[in-house]
Amino acid sequence: MSGQKVTGRTGRRRGLIPAVVVVLYVLVALCAPLISPFDPNHADLVARLSGPFTTVHGHFHLLGTDALGRDVLSRAFYGSRVSIAVAAATVVVSGAFGVLVGVLAGWYRGWVGVVVMRVADIALSVPFFLLAILVVAVLGPSLANVVICLALVRWPRYTRIAYASVLETRERGFVRGAVAVGAPGRWIVTRHVLPEVLPLAVVVATLELGLMVVFEASLSFIGLGVQPPTASWGSMLSDGQNYVASAWWLVTFPGLALFGLVLAVNLLGDTVRDRLDPTRSVSRKPFRRRGPGRGGRAPGWLRPGGTTGPTAPTSTAPTSTAPIPTAPSGTSQEA
Amino acid sequence: MNRGAVATAAGYLGTRLGQALIALWGVTTAVFFALRLSGDPARLLAPQGATAADIARLRGQLGLDVSVWHQYLNFLDGLLHGDLGYSYVQHQPALGLIAQRVPYTIDLALSALFLSVVFGVGAGMVMALNRGRWPERVLMPVVLVGQAMPAFWTGILLILLFSVTFRILPSTGYGGITSLILPAVTLASLSAATVARITRGAVLEQLGRDYVRTARSKGAGTARLVVRHLARNVSVPILTVLALEVANLLGGSVVTELIFAWPGLGQLTVQSVDGRDFPLVQAIVILAALVYIVVNLVTDLAYAFLDPRISTLGKAAGT
Amino acid sequence: MRAPRHPRTTRTRTAFRGLRAPRAAALGGLAALLAASLTACALPTTTGGSAPGSARLTADLAGYPSSLDPGLQYDTDSYSVYRNIFDQLLHRDPKTNKPIPWLATHWRRTNPTTWVFTLRDDVRFSDGSRLTAADAAFSVQRILDPKFGSQQYANFSAIASATGHGDTLILTTKYPSPTLLTYLTTLSVVPEAYVKKVGNDRFNVRPMGSGPYSFVSAIPGSQVVLKRNESYWGAEPPIRRVTFRAVPSPASRVADLTSGKADIADGMTPDTAIQMKSASNLKVLSAPTERVSYLAFNTIKGGPTDDPRVRRAISLAIDYKALISALEQGYGKRVNSVLTPLAVGYPEQLSPYTYDPKKARGLIKQAGAAGKTVVMATSPTYDPQIVQVIQANIQDAGLKVSIVNSDQATYLKKVQSPSHDWGSIRFGQWSCSCLDADGVAYPLFRSGTVWSSYHNPDFDALVDQARRTIDPVARDRLYAKAYGILDKDTPGVGLFQIYSIYGANKRLLWHPDAQQSFYVADMRFTS
Repeated sequence: MSGQKVTGRTGRRRGLIPAVVVVLYVLVALCAPLISPFDPNHADLVARLSGPFTTVHGHFHLLGTDALGRDVLSRAFYGSRVSIAVAAATVVVSGAFGVLVGVLAGWYRGWVGVVVMRVADIALSVPFFLLAILVVAVLGPSLANVVICLALVRWPRYTRIAYASVLETRERGFVRGAVAVGAPGRWIVTRHVLPEVLPLAVVVATLELGLMVVFEASLSFIGLGVQPPTASWGSMLSDGQNYVASAWWLVTFPGLALFGLVLAVNLLGDTVRDRLDPTRSVSRKPFRRRGPGRGGRAPGWLRPGGTTGPTAPTSTAPTSTAPIPTAPSGTSQEA
Repeated sequence: MNRGAVATAAGYLGTRLGQALIALWGVTTAVFFALRLSGDPARLLAPQGATAADIARLRGQLGLDVSVWHQYLNFLDGLLHGDLGYSYVQHQPALGLIAQRVPYTIDLALSALFLSVVFGVGAGMVMALNRGRWPERVLMPVVLVGQAMPAFWTGILLILLFSVTFRILPSTGYGGITSLILPAVTLASLSAATVARITRGAVLEQLGRDYVRTARSKGAGTARLVVRHLARNVSVPILTVLALEVANLLGGSVVTELIFAWPGLGQLTVQSVDGRDFPLVQAIVILAALVYIVVNLVTDLAYAFLDPRISTLGKAAGT
Repeated sequence: MRAPRHPRTTRTRTAFRGLRAPRAAALGGLAALLAASLTACALPTTTGGSAPGSARLTADLAGYPSSLDPGLQYDTDSYSVYRNIFDQLLHRDPKTNKPIPWLATHWRRTNPTTWVFTLRDDVRFSDGSRLTAADAAFSVQRILDPKFGSQQYANFSAIASATGHGDTLILTTKYPSPTLLTYLTTLSVVPEAYVKKVGNDRFNVRPMGSGPYSFVSAIPGSQVVLKRNESYWGAEPPIRRVTFRAVPSPASRVADLTSGKADIADGMTPDTAIQMKSASNLKVLSAPTERVSYLAFNTIKGGPTDDPRVRRAISLAIDYKALISALEQGYGKRVNSVLTPLAVGYPEQLSPYTYDPKKARGLIKQAGAAGKTVVMATSPTYDPQIVQVIQANIQDAGLKVSIVNSDQATYLKKVQSPSHDWGSIRFGQWSCSCLDADGVAYPLFRSGTVWSSYHNPDFDALVDQARRTIDPVARDRLYAKAYGILDKDTPGVGLFQIYSIYGANKRLLWHPDAQQSFYVADMRFTS
């Protein structure tokens, strides 16, 4: 197969470098107090706006200092804590909540389903920044509120996928069988339904992670995120914007840090998606069988058709042999 | 389509419309009450030395001295008469203020869309048709970079480069076509990258099909292949993504508009929330939700039309 | 193991069924592009900057005016634009800052609450109609009209009635008001007939006045264009056409100045001033303003700051010199109270605040507050750099400072709440646009006012009396006493007097004044 060449060449190692980079970022975040050369909030007015590689009264600033004379490198290190913590917490909170209500909606259907999905629609139909501004305005800006705010916007992504997947799953033979023999609903959901839903949720979560890093930075950038003096890449960029003509390092380094993390997380997300959702992967098509099934309600690129049960993310050879329906839609509904 | 299918479609449409209206009402109500919890516009409007009595007086003028429920009823009453209220800060009808800003946001969004289509589809095609060769190896990293660049950083870097260093393009405000370039590029970079990836995937998908192989075996050249066969089949997924990108571009321009001081809706949104200009915020929310709901509805109906199987599923609530 | 490449029949079918779609979409796309080009054409285009020698001026403001109707808003950006379109009843002497004649040529007080003004008879609005005392009375009345909802009501609330006949304007006040004249320097006179004809909404969009410039066009959120009023009654302004542009980022304003896209920019920061000084074609224009940068304490529910010793300690912990020289780049001046020397009632007899960290630490220990946490409330409106430097200063004195930053609406709600539980310290900048101690001491520290978290009956009595005393000497005496109390009790600390900073092209000649009034008529280019 000619299509094998590019992605195939790097094959299994494709996700390795991004994974290493992400781990590095996490390590930096965890060890920020140990590796930062200075207190990130220590203002030194004499040293303000010194460029990279300068030494001011004996203090060497590798990446320069900001308008208050604070060390940019130290602040960038500490900034990673905010980015990673907020992104991870948001993904966990919105994922857990989204999957929970999605599964409930899909399992009970009826008015529960309608209400949940309409509320999801409502949440999706308010422009993100407007909602963010409102939430922060009502609750006040803080780390926890940023997470709440982002989770409020993002849970419907998980809900929609979980909902579609549950609808799909409950029509399957084994679930129908379990229902027919009178198995309790909770048992069926945890035993049969969740294992179908979770891999999809993990795929969404990894793809969301990069986005959440950007969203947190955007919120901090417009002053709604983490509050000063706490360092966040977004607020560093926003402060630095005023010095764009005189202190290029203030907008360059936090941006690079942010960009590096997002790129690594995105690449990692692509790998996870390809592994867990093989229908997406053009070059690598793991074993699967087709069977008659109804069209998927899930967004095209996350059709449940491709998943093969509770496979570990690293497994390259899915083992489930359940008949898997293919969806007709070749389009993406999720942006 | 037989008569039964038409009836089903009509019922489906009715349900969807009803649900859309409920969603619209829900959004509006949620925002209405959230706003009233978020602070007092009278305090923001009053001059610094104003006394408590001055502030209370201003509050009365704004109609905020009655209970929240009373305010809500007043608001619904106005809404039914198509009256979205007056901006507290600018003393003009909220709808009029929005109408002044919409052309600029549309201008920016469409320019960005144009760039996304040209560069996204172009790059995607080139990558797919040159799989594994240097064009893909050069373009793919560019696309990945584009996807990982937050709009505000792109914007700042573009300003740093073109406005501050080379001084060839204006960095802020509206002043003809040159002022459109930087914001449009900023806004387009992310969606162009997305479109490029989708296009690449879709083209690759088609390239594996039998009909392409047949065409190839008959000796069709790449150009002919693209024009005659691929373009048609690839356009469906790309158009779907583009439809969503339009919504994203319209809604996602807030940060871009702020960075470039673009006089569009995004800037107005942030200003109106900052100033707790309740009527204006409410009007913007209603408008935004309406656009979103209509786009969603149209997309759903288009699918139902293209693929009748979905319409039978549509009765279950969902996407 | 890899799956064989089956042709996916269902997909192909969908794709073929969708054949109709691309054509429709292509049409749609075409329509969209067409619409884009159409809107692009429909939007007014202007070019920034001025060609050398031309009498066009482009001014970069920090924000777009929130109203062009001078009766509504009174913020810097709005004022900078509309005060060029309108004439004010009085002006200030640029040197002494005393009210001087403008539309009103002279005035007298016939009894403690009645003022009679005589207006010029040669003033016409730009539509040719005459400006009369009735227009001036109308301008006051509409601000006082509750239905109009003017944000300037508080400035004119002392006025009980306004009547105008011919060239005589009579104002009566509810009580003897020593600050009436000072506020009348901000009163722009609007044409009664025109406003009534077009309505308030339209007037706000297309203002018309008697000032040196008249309105041409506006792109809301972006720019306003004015042209010289050829029938202006005063001296002909050298600048023929002026474009105000909203450019929120100071860096962009500098870029505009450097590249010649703008001739003058308002609201520059001390840091950008350094940049502008190093640019060969730019200069920095600056003037002391009546704006004072201050700290106010919560003396009622502030925790450690309830103790006057802690407040005194904090006033000793701040390195005023470093604040002004390092952060403000010298664009500031030390003060001795929460007031600027420009204001009537400035307590000359007090000595400036001093920096004595050792004494501060001692006082804090003595008060038993060492290691305690004080909460500093602030909002993004206030310079975060100053806030953080103050935080560092106070921490050096042995207190912990936690900064609580909330957006302006939330901040105001908290700080102005009568429950006084907003924290211990806040940083702010105060300007009453009145150059009078009454506009600062009263709203900030008089108990019961929204900003005050201080209670002292002696002080209250003094400022209450001063605001109804017209005799300047007696007022000065009252404020000397009142500020003496503030100095002892320290419910607030004046950090420095703020300077306005403008960036301008070297060819532009202009002197900024204390009110930050942006009189384009006073600007000219060197030939």
